[in-house]
Amino acid sequence: MSGQDRISASVAVKEGQAVCAACGHDLGPATKPWKDHAQRREIPLAQAGGQAYDTGHEGVLLRHFYCPGCAALLDTETAMAGDPALDDILAERG
Amino acid sequence: MAGTGETSYLVATDVGGTCTDTVIFGTDGVIHIGKALSTPPDFATGVLNSIVSAAEPMGLTLEELLGRTHLFIHGSTVVDNAVLTRDGTPTGLLTTQGFEDTLHVTRGAYGRWSGLTEERIKNPVQTDRAPALAPRDAVVGIPERMDCDGAVVLPLDEAAVEQAVRFLVNEKQVGAIAVSFLWSFLNADHERRVRDIINRVAPGAYVTLSSDIAPNLGEYERTSTAVINAYAGQITNDYLTSLQGLLAEKGYDGATMVMQGYGGLLPAAEAADRAVGMIECGPAAGVIGAKFLGDLMGDPDVIAADMGGTTFKVGVIQDGKLEYAREPMVDRFHYLAPKIEVVSIGAGGGSIISVDPRTKVPHVGPRSAGARPGPICYGQGGEEPTLTDVMLLIGYMDPGQFLNGSITLDREKTERIFKEKIADPLGMSTQEAAIGIYRIASAQITDLIREITVERGLDPRDFVLHSFGGSCGMLAAAFGQELSVRRVIIPYTASVNCAFGLVSADVAHEYSVTQNLPATTSAAQINAIFAPMEERARAQLAAEGIEPDRMRMEWSVDLRYSRQVHEVTTEVAANTPLDDAGAARLVDDFEALYERKYGRGSAYREAGIEMTMFRLTARGLMPRPTLPAEEEGSADASAALIGNREIYVETKGGMAPGDIYDFNRLQPGNSLKGPAVIHTPITTIALPDRMTARMDRWRNIVVEFDAD
Amino acid sequence: MDPMTFSIIRHRLFRIVDEAVITLKHVSGSAITNEGHDLMVSLYRADGTLLMGGVGFLHHLTSAAEACKSIIRRFEGDIHEGDIFLLNDPYTAALHTSDIYLVSPIHHEGRLVAWSACFVHVYDIGAVNPGGFAPQAPDIYTEGFSSPGIRLVAGGEMRQDVLDTILNMVRSPEMVTLDLRSMIACNNVARDRMQSLMTKYGAKEVDGACAELVNQSEDLFRARLRELPDGQWQSRQYLDVNGETARVNLTMTKKDDRLIFDFSGSDPQSPYSINCTKWASLGGLFAPLFPLLCYDITWNEGVLRPVEMIAPEGSIVNCTRPAPVSVATVGAIQSVNNAACSTIGKMLGASEKYRNQSTAVWHANHFAIFKFGRNQKGGDSIGILTETFAGAGGARSFADGVEIGGEIPNPISRMANVETVEAAFPVRYLFRRRAPDSGGPGEYRGGTGGELALVPHKAPDGGINYVISGKGSRHPMSEGLAGGYPGAPNSYVWVKAPEDGANTPVTAAGGLDAISGTQERVSWGVYPLMGRDALYVRWNGGGGHGDPIVRDPEAVRSDVAAGLVTLQSAGDIYGVALRDGAVDETETMAKRKSIRSARLQQEASE
Repeated sequence: MSGQDRISASVAVKEGQAVCAACGHDLGPATKPWKDHAQRREIPLAQAGGQAYDTGHEGVLLRHFYCPGCAALLDTETAMAGDPALDDILAERG
Repeated sequence: MAGTGETSYLVATDVGGTCTDTVIFGTDGVIHIGKALSTPPDFATGVLNSIVSAAEPMGLTLEELLGRTHLFIHGSTVVDNAVLTRDGTPTGLLTTQGFEDTLHVTRGAYGRWSGLTEERIKNPVQTDRAPALAPRDAVVGIPERMDCDGAVVLPLDEAAVEQAVRFLVNEKQVGAIAVSFLWSFLNADHERRVRDIINRVAPGAYVTLSSDIAPNLGEYERTSTAVINAYAGQITNDYLTSLQGLLAEKGYDGATMVMQGYGGLLPAAEAADRAVGMIECGPAAGVIGAKFLGDLMGDPDVIAADMGGTTFKVGVIQDGKLEYAREPMVDRFHYLAPKIEVVSIGAGGGSIISVDPRTKVPHVGPRSAGARPGPICYGQGGEEPTLTDVMLLIGYMDPGQFLNGSITLDREKTERIFKEKIADPLGMSTQEAAIGIYRIASAQITDLIREITVERGLDPRDFVLHSFGGSCGMLAAAFGQELSVRRVIIPYTASVNCAFGLVSADVAHEYSVTQNLPATTSAAQINAIFAPMEERARAQLAAEGIEPDRMRMEWSVDLRYSRQVHEVTTEVAANTPLDDAGAARLVDDFEALYERKYGRGSAYREAGIEMTMFRLTARGLMPRPTLPAEEEGSADASAALIGNREIYVETKGGMAPGDIYDFNRLQPGNSLKGPAVIHTPITTIALPDRMTARMDRWRNIVVEFDAD
Repeated sequence: MDPMTFSIIRHRLFRIVDEAVITLKHVSGSAITNEGHDLMVSLYRADGTLLMGGVGFLHHLTSAAEACKSIIRRFEGDIHEGDIFLLNDPYTAALHTSDIYLVSPIHHEGRLVAWSACFVHVYDIGAVNPGGFAPQAPDIYTEGFSSPGIRLVAGGEMRQDVLDTILNMVRSPEMVTLDLRSMIACNNVARDRMQSLMTKYGAKEVDGACAELVNQSEDLFRARLRELPDGQWQSRQYLDVNGETARVNLTMTKKDDRLIFDFSGSDPQSPYSINCTKWASLGGLFAPLFPLLCYDITWNEGVLRPVEMIAPEGSIVNCTRPAPVSVATVGAIQSVNNAACSTIGKMLGASEKYRNQSTAVWHANHFAIFKFGRNQKGGDSIGILTETFAGAGGARSFADGVEIGGEIPNPISRMANVETVEAAFPVRYLFRRRAPDSGGPGEYRGGTGGELALVPHKAPDGGINYVISGKGSRHPMSEGLAGGYPGAPNSYVWVKAPEDGANTPVTAAGGLDAISGTQERVSWGVYPLMGRDALYVRWNGGGGHGDPIVRDPEAVRSDVAAGLVTLQSAGDIYGVALRDGAVDETETMAKRKSIRSARLQQEASE
């Protein structure tokens, strides 16, 4: 990984650690799932806001991952209850 | 108006992107040519400058010339310019409620990719629509609805219209309003009532109805047309009014006719209300000019190629007929108006040559050095090699002969930069690399023209190629040969071809009625559709002073196979009004035309044939100026031979000696063999090996390929 | 090779594909080919590897390569000049039965030197439902005629018995004839032009240029991959049909100059025809890969070489015979498109250099609605609702997605005008416009999708019927990036007129809820649109990019003014307060602050 690399547009990497791109809060090693270190919240899709998400169907969730340091929204997933989080990681060096 | 006995003049001025060209025909049979720089946005200044530049060598002042002028014909980029520079009137749109987004949604991705090169289309993440000329917050939906038969489903809510107009004018500060309702081309009643309300509530606003400007099926394109017209309408009006005022001040008291994109002329007052009609009228005039020459020389099938500094344009004339664009655009906006098809790509003398640093593959364009800084060899600060620089390096341009020697070309600098930026990265000598670039440019133009002709179901081998513009002569014989065209012609008027096209055009009005009828429709029923159009057209032409014996009514009908999308505009060849045999022939002609255009076996007859649009072109024939023809004399061109130098010769695979000729010393009948170069005051003609060039009696250069 | 000749040959190969596409559209003349651009033409080398892909439905580029290869295997030693082969078996190479490949060998001086291939979505293939998408098909046997390879033209002569057999199995054989004819003409043009290219420059030279072109693409693509960070990115798609949900799981691993797409963990194949075969999945992942990663690289075999796909057998992305697949192109294949777009977008977003090339998912969910019935002129009308091609752009790292802006796998599509539809079908639109709140919120908003409502109009039979293969009204499928929300899901509603005999609505400015009647969701099967009923369709917006509460409040204000975002979403999702049509800055700051603190008041996961 080069000095410029990130995990995503919202999660940067500093000295091998995943960090919030907005505030620099440490989110654990870049080679491990950073979401384990984020604030996670699940809400039913229908409650996400606005008109169009209210489909009348049950069981669909929006899963948000926030930076525990600055509360920036780092990632959003569509999920069904119990499905694992999507993990994005960088490879070990070398 | 000029008195009898004295020479009187027809003056034609075409405003192009860079230059404003003038052609003057005297009743004494002499042609005069003028050129000046265009002066946007105040185009009228450039127009007068251009006329003056033609009058001066005649020994006339502007006032003297205009005092003896009986007709002024004009083409201008004023509308294109207003759209390109977003300089039009703030415009609002009234449309059917529930369909307010039609303009901005552009039939989905269509408006996002239209008008882009294939390279850009392949990277959709970096593409967007052009912002519409009427912003979304200046679009108001009106409760009203017509159906597919033009029957009223929901009556017009007049109070809502009045409120919307006040909102647009007072809060959105618009100066122009376009009105476009669903199915208005079948029943314009609602749109017309809206116009009355606007005229009452906001008398100063410029109004365009979609049913007036584009009475055709397809609400997106019709709405877009109305918006463009509303947006550019006021500017066009102001421009034509002020130009006529200026000419009147200088003593002109005749009519002003304005060129339309469909290749016909309209009186200035009518043109002012149909701004969209003027879009790309210059290139259309160019095709008309080529057609005039083709007719004169007995060549009904012509490919007209024009290559200037930044663009390469191609128009096709088949069997003496012009082709209309199916999906015309200005900038990146679609519109519906008859327009002669001219395909344009970004390839010109100023096209920048580059070598892809990753692959070491050389490219011509698409970037252009434009007029400024221009090619390196012009010495105006250009630092990037262009196609023009390549022409110098392969001996086609003479450093001392350019534009009559007015600029000395800097060969040393050109060679130095070309070597560093192109030849060295390619690992080739400067000469080899320059020759290679020339071959690439020629091959790419060949590919483009082939594609354009294939698209029309045509074979380039049946065509004569006309070469216009400052850069085309150096390539035309080469790509003409690869396309196997019959011959290549570099017309005498090549440098002012668009202005020349103006004087060879007729007054023409285009009318159409959209109606879906089976091909079995009787002749009487078809005649009943055309009769009111003809009546309107004759009254219109009469009001313009056209005598009945100079009126021509040309009918055509769009037909298609019922379950296929391609509509083919088919001319009515039989006498009109039609009898039943004539109506039957129309359908036969359509079928033949369809197969020729779309290929054998492409028709699905079983589904039936239908007529979708009835078109009338009403012409008022204008007096054609005659081109002075001279006697063709001896074939011996040696009097014009001014030297010999190394030039690129394809058959030799490299540089070889070539004869150099001076165009001004050639006489009609003179004939010369390639490899050779002919320098004219405005361009250079490269004549490859195994070709013969002859000057004909109109001083056109005609290039023929030697038989094997 | 001489770089000049190489450049000329390269340019000409592009033009050959263009000319062949023009021919295909000309001869076919069908709306789906000409308006929807549901077609593809490309050139292949003698061994069937992709040489030059054109712009069309991009998931066909690799499948047609497999079609060439399987024809080479099947007919080895029996392939002759002027032959044209037909292949449409999804378990051999095709995506679904109605996308027919015609594959044609190109010979020069008696030697097989290249192939051309093209497809169109034929008018009908004889499946249980008309039009090709067959939601009611339980297996491949009911999805119409299919062939793993058959010689349609032998040495330039049509094999009439073969043609008659095919036509005997389809509805509207005349239109299918036209489709086949257009593909034959297209292949003929490609063959003629390739032959004259070889005559001019020599077959060896041309093949050399082709080899170099392929190697060049491989080198360029590998170099680009090396510039991107090594890592692994995941995405997931939910496909719901009739209340059942299937998952497509993807882990994309990028290591040095290689890219691995691993679909392990995806759900078993479905009883519904949304499944796809492995060749379809491969095409499905390349469709976004070409324009997202290789926008400036020639699309050929060289791009395929660094990529590997793992798709578990028997899963929805590698189904086994006789699973039905007729809806694959708008089912599992599109989910593969979306999943790949999502992981590629994440990877690009992780690179400083390529961040501006990353995009959230565009138009993730086609809805195939085929209307059929007698029209107002008394003739038969059948056709797809072309709004499905209108799409919606995903948000980018620097800009909003394009409203109703199309899709990635088919770069040049468009929808028909309302007037065109109303002229041919006995229906009337109540509205067609951008759908509020459909674009996924984010710092950059996903492009909105659209909504429309249709009622019968002047229908001689009182209305029409339609086949709908409408999955995806439960789960949003256009995923966002970097925190951006997904675009809202599709919605299909049958509004049943009230019993009291009210008239058919003439307008419905208020949208779906302004149409009187009871609302019933529809998604899968054949339904009527009769009498005074209405059909409402909303299609998905693109995914958003970044955190919505950092979106420029002015942009939110203008979205609300344009009706693209509701006032409620502006407050709840974007944290923007509006007063009298202007941004209330103090209130907005307070709102956003309170959203932030609410976010952290939750318990941390694990």
